[in-house]
Order: sequence, then structure tokens, then C-alpha cells
Amino acid sequence: MPERLITDIGGLPAGEVPREEVPQLFWEKHMIAMFNVLWGKGIFNLDEFRRTVESTPPDEYGRSTFYGRRLDGMTDLLVEKGIIDRKELTERTERILREGTRDHA
Amino acid sequence: MPEVERPDFARGDRVRIIDLAKPGHVRTPMYVRGKLGVIDRYCGRFENPEERAYGHIGGTRIPLYRVRVMQRDLWPDYQGSNGDSLVLEIYQHWLKPA
Repeated sequence: MPERLITDIGGLPAGEVPREEVPQLFWEKHMIAMFNVLWGKGIFNLDEFRRTVESTPPDEYGRSTFYGRRLDGMTDLLVEKGIIDRKELTERTERILREGTRDHA
Repeated sequence: MPEVERPDFARGDRVRIIDLAKPGHVRTPMYVRGKLGVIDRYCGRFENPEERAYGHIGGTRIPLYRVRVMQRDLWPDYQGSNGDSLVLEIYQHWLKPA
């Protein structure tokens, strides 16, 4: 038996599905915009993007959000393709978080 | 499979969705594997997402179908109408005649 993809949850017990609307954060809009540019320009294709999102370790997937796991998947793919450098990304992310953003005071 | 070949299935054909037990990125969810369905329509040919997921683009385009599966065949405890069905897109290599 192959392992079930972490995204392949059809028919599994799910409990109550939360129905409330969650406000969209600024970085989440940026994430979708960046995704659309990279996908639209053919830097990556949708199937390899899905593959990296599906590779999220189960415990991390459980803790992650809709946008968070897509950001991580997109980042992993850009690192895999040699377009961005993981170390540089980490350093710049830490600097931005120190200085504060619209979402992280 | 050469692209000039006719697709194996046509609207109304009975099929079984098989379990290829294939690792990696696949588009056939677990809950339909092994189930019987009927071809609802042929959608055309598309590159295999299982190859595209690893950066292989421009490969052979393979037939894709919309397959109709009855809800009562999917879920043993299904409470809805007997006529309820689910239509989902399945690539030809995940189907066999039934």
C-alpha cells in the first residue's frame, strides 16, 4: 500500500468543520500574488508546487495554515530550483520580523 | 502511448478506478480507488501530472476523463438519495474496463 498523501483526506473522520470567516492577513495576499507571478511566468508548474506542499511533514502540516504551508511549499521549490538561497532567505526573514511588518508588530 | 491513438474509453463505458499504489504526486484520491464508475465525458489529453510534479514538462499527453461514481458505492453509510453521484477527473492509466 502506498502512503496516503497528507492532502488526501477525503472520507477520513474530520470532526466539526469551523465555518467562521477568518480575516486575510497582508502577507497572505503577498503570498498569493507571488505565487501567481511565479506560476504565470512558468518558474514552476502547479503539479510540482502541489508535490512540495504534500511533502510537508505530518506534524508540521497539522500546525500549519492554508497560506503557511503554501508559502513553505513555494519556498522549498524555489530553493530546490536554485532560485533562492535558504540561508539568505532565513537571514532576511529574521531581519524583516525584527523590524516589524503589518502583520507582525 | 502515441498521441494519435484514440482514447480507450468513451461516454457510457463502465470502468474500474484502479489503485496503482504509486508513490509521489498522484491525482487519484484513495477513497475512489477500486470503485466502479461510468465515463461521463472524455476531457482531452493532458501531460501527466505525475511527471510534471518532478519538473518533466513537454511529455506525452494522456487521455483524461470525467468519471461518475455513485455516492452509495463510495460511502457504506451514505444517507442521501440513491441517485446521488460524484464526478471526478481521472487519467486513463488509472482506469480499466469493467
